[in-house]
Amino acid sequence: MKKYIVLALALCMVLSFAMSASADGKTVINVMAFTDEVPGMITKYFEAHPDMAEKYEVNTTITATTDGLYQPALDQMLAAGEADIYAAEAAFVLKYAQGDAAEFAAAYEDLGIDVAALTEAAEIAPYTIEIGTRPSDGKLVGLGYQATGGAFIYRRSIAKDVWGNDDPEFVAEKIGAGSGSWDAFFAAAAELKEKGYAIVSGDGDIWHAVENSSDTGWIVDGKLNIDPKREAFLDLSKTLKDNGYHHDTQDWTEAWYADMDENGGVLGFYGPAWLINYVIAPRSFGDWGVCASNVGFFWGGTWVMAGKNVIGTDKQEVVADIIKWITLDTDEESLQYKWANGTLNGEGGTKDTVASGVVMAKSNGELDFLAGQNMFDAFVPANAYANGKNMTQYDETINTYWRDAVRQYTAGNLSREDAINAFKQNVADNLDVEVDF
Amino acid sequence: MSKKSSKISYAKYGYLFSLPFVIIYAIFHLYPTIYTAILGFTDCKGLGNSNWHIFTEDIWRNFRTILNNNTFKTSLSNTVLIWVMNFIPQILLALLLTAWFTSKRNQIKGQGFFKVVFYMPNIITAASVAILFNTLFGYPKGPVNDLLVSWGLRSEPYYFTNNATAARWIIAFIQFWMWYGYTMIILISGVLGINPEIFEAAEIDGANDRQVFWQITIPNIRTILTYTLITSMIGGLNMYDMSRMFNNGNPNNSTLTANVFIYNQAFSGSYMYNRAAAASMIMFVIIAALSIVVFYLMRDRNERRS
Amino acid sequence: MNSLEKRSGNPVYKAVIYVVLIILAILSLFPFFVMVVNSTRSTQEIQDHAVSLIPSSHLSNNWNVLTGKTFNPYRGFINSVIIAVGCTALTIYFSTLTAWAIVAYEWKLKKPFFGFILAVMMIPGTITAIGFYQFMWKIGLTNNYLALIIPAIAAPGTVFFMRQYMLASFPMELLDSARIDGSGEFKTFNEIALPIMKPAMATQAIFSFVGTWNQLFMPSILLTRNDLYTMPMMVSQLKGDIYKVEYGAVYLGLTLSVLPLFIIYFSLSRYIIAGVALGSVKG
Repeated sequence: MKKYIVLALALCMVLSFAMSASADGKTVINVMAFTDEVPGMITKYFEAHPDMAEKYEVNTTITATTDGLYQPALDQMLAAGEADIYAAEAAFVLKYAQGDAAEFAAAYEDLGIDVAALTEAAEIAPYTIEIGTRPSDGKLVGLGYQATGGAFIYRRSIAKDVWGNDDPEFVAEKIGAGSGSWDAFFAAAAELKEKGYAIVSGDGDIWHAVENSSDTGWIVDGKLNIDPKREAFLDLSKTLKDNGYHHDTQDWTEAWYADMDENGGVLGFYGPAWLINYVIAPRSFGDWGVCASNVGFFWGGTWVMAGKNVIGTDKQEVVADIIKWITLDTDEESLQYKWANGTLNGEGGTKDTVASGVVMAKSNGELDFLAGQNMFDAFVPANAYANGKNMTQYDETINTYWRDAVRQYTAGNLSREDAINAFKQNVADNLDVEVDF
Repeated sequence: MSKKSSKISYAKYGYLFSLPFVIIYAIFHLYPTIYTAILGFTDCKGLGNSNWHIFTEDIWRNFRTILNNNTFKTSLSNTVLIWVMNFIPQILLALLLTAWFTSKRNQIKGQGFFKVVFYMPNIITAASVAILFNTLFGYPKGPVNDLLVSWGLRSEPYYFTNNATAARWIIAFIQFWMWYGYTMIILISGVLGINPEIFEAAEIDGANDRQVFWQITIPNIRTILTYTLITSMIGGLNMYDMSRMFNNGNPNNSTLTANVFIYNQAFSGSYMYNRAAAASMIMFVIIAALSIVVFYLMRDRNERRS
Repeated sequence: MNSLEKRSGNPVYKAVIYVVLIILAILSLFPFFVMVVNSTRSTQEIQDHAVSLIPSSHLSNNWNVLTGKTFNPYRGFINSVIIAVGCTALTIYFSTLTAWAIVAYEWKLKKPFFGFILAVMMIPGTITAIGFYQFMWKIGLTNNYLALIIPAIAAPGTVFFMRQYMLASFPMELLDSARIDGSGEFKTFNEIALPIMKPAMATQAIFSFVGTWNQLFMPSILLTRNDLYTMPMMVSQLKGDIYKVEYGAVYLGLTLSVLPLFIIYFSLSRYIIAGVALGSVKG
């Protein structure tokens, strides 16, 4: 027994030393991301630039956001000055671009990127710039490659069955596109219900539309603020539930996915282009249309940032070039062009809306998924609604508390007042935010 | 007696053999813990904040904030409740299984198989188990709801994860299910450690199974039972993964445990390391107090060499 | 007559025992079954019905998704083995040694030391992680397995168990007779105490191995280099995409990551089941 233990130990020690040592001539670029999306782009960049690939080596760390591990891991890397390029998702980008961790970011112009000229030339969606600008010095520190303006993605066969018309303009009118209210939406819901259909799958589907169309964010001057439009979500959710207008699913659960199937019985989903590509398209195909939403909103998106530690090192040039290629270039070899046309990983990949207006203008958004409809017609105008004004760095956490409180009210477990108080209590007890009761 | 005198002091070996533990503990565990404890008396909050100070006046303010924090109180009572809900059935079942498996009379076939299988739920990470159960109790569609409706037990699906009592029982059940095998193995290994001569003697005296179990087995595994009780209590009061991964403390904080609360203080947005540290220390005091009570109630009364 | 019946056990009672045991066995095996079956099903099938008893045909597809990502099962396996074996071996050996120090010797600080071990068992682990990470970073042990393995030498819970076990089942006369034979104290520990502690060591080895194999939080914070990732870290990455989750591949990854645990578990379980220690006590 003892011999084996000693042997195993010795082996472990030797191996752990051997594996921990790193030695080769290339300069290492540390990339931190929460999906393989940005690392995949960087791989493509080096494939296209073999001269760079000779000098640099990429060390990618992908940590899932699901267990809440990404942010602590990234924070540690930033504090240590070891994150060279990193990705931030809409739910927490404010922390890294404008909030507690903004000081770790390198301004694009300090990397040597001519920000003013390039953003204008590429016609970058203004909200991406707004969110990626650090308030302390007004410098741009992050840009997204996607544009995530949202629209209403609906099932054509159901529209035809209920209203005899599946035209995007017609459905847009039915749900009150551009009206900024939910009245037409509920009227349509009642008509659908008579035929046995639900208008949406769960209250989560309209939450993103409500969240990002509100005028103020969760925190104003350091205090918790419940925007009237967000408070009204309580009533919207209750109306949906009490009238049986939805299937009472929770987003990202099995039942929600199942509603995207061919006989899901749900008219539609509110979402940006990525919801089509990643979520709905793998499940059912060809019977979908996309039209303008009744309230303007955006949802999600990834911002690409650089650590300030790269400034003045031999990494600066290549980091700047990668970031420029991902977020600002518009030619046919640029990332955004390939992303919009689904050609980054070869022909026939998923298409997406991107941040550059110039790229969007020369890209083709026709999808078989939408029976040939050009999705850009609906999504591009929606980008105009997107802005970062109502975002705060605590959104991810506060939204969780709010959604739970609303579920309690909708299910009849708490009164409206108690639900709001429970929400306030949670924010007061868990975050460094002032709350008035 | 050999050349060595029986009065020779072996005390130095006690120190010598515990030295590796002490050194490693001091460096890798104690230092970070003390560091954390100190944080409880500081204004250290915010990310990457290296400019924090120890309070010079009103040093207990973080502790007071936590003790007045309603969510903390809720989380504390949830934690205790969920632990009790799972521990009582768990220890009873484990004792019963131990009695069955160690009884010479029952001669259960396939014992090895059963023992191995019962421990298996403990092998998968808590996070995966939590996710699996969350799907099982899914609403409005999920395997459990599908069965309830198709067997006519309910007319419509039940929102398990949105009901405080149901959610707590599910978590308690998962904990029970994950740990009864572990507890059983610990108890069995305790029984195997009892000198078989004692059992043989009892058998010759004509004691039946029940008598052997209560009068020989139980008293002889008292130390192991203490161990089980204390470690389960510590584990239960420190429960983190299950609560976080099953339903993130919802609905309405009814499954929020103290450790999830602590994690939230530190990482869910505001980086209030000082408050999180204070809350950890409060938990430490509570668990320590409970453990001391348990230890005294179950102390080994005839400890060797004392 | 009566005593004869007792000797063989009451058949009804025995039947009840078997029924209970079989039900428990099914309950225990259920998630593994789901896991293995799901690793052959497509993401969409799993999203529709998370639990199915019928395997599907997407195993190779899931394997391609799995290996097409950053998931490298061989590398993850080796990394995890190094950490888990290292931790387990250190924990078991040194915990037994520490317990031996407490049980076999009389020394002034013995009681306070044991009290200290009890006390530190109760410190919640979640929060000291902050201090631990910062310390490891300062002394340059991030991205180094030593930061995960060395601390395993001090495992208060295991020491406590070993002490409890030793107290109950180690005959101290053996120590005295070893001394009479002129055996050194360290040699006595290695050659007499360790073999007797085998069942306890095997039990704790399994728990320790499973625990370190499955740990996710600390490695995720300490290890940032891809080539150092452990198996569970790789599996957790698979779910990492917030827009799409490849459930089939995740289940396959989970299955693969549990497999080594089975092997180690089944190879050690005989120690638990057979109760090998008893022979050496009698002798």
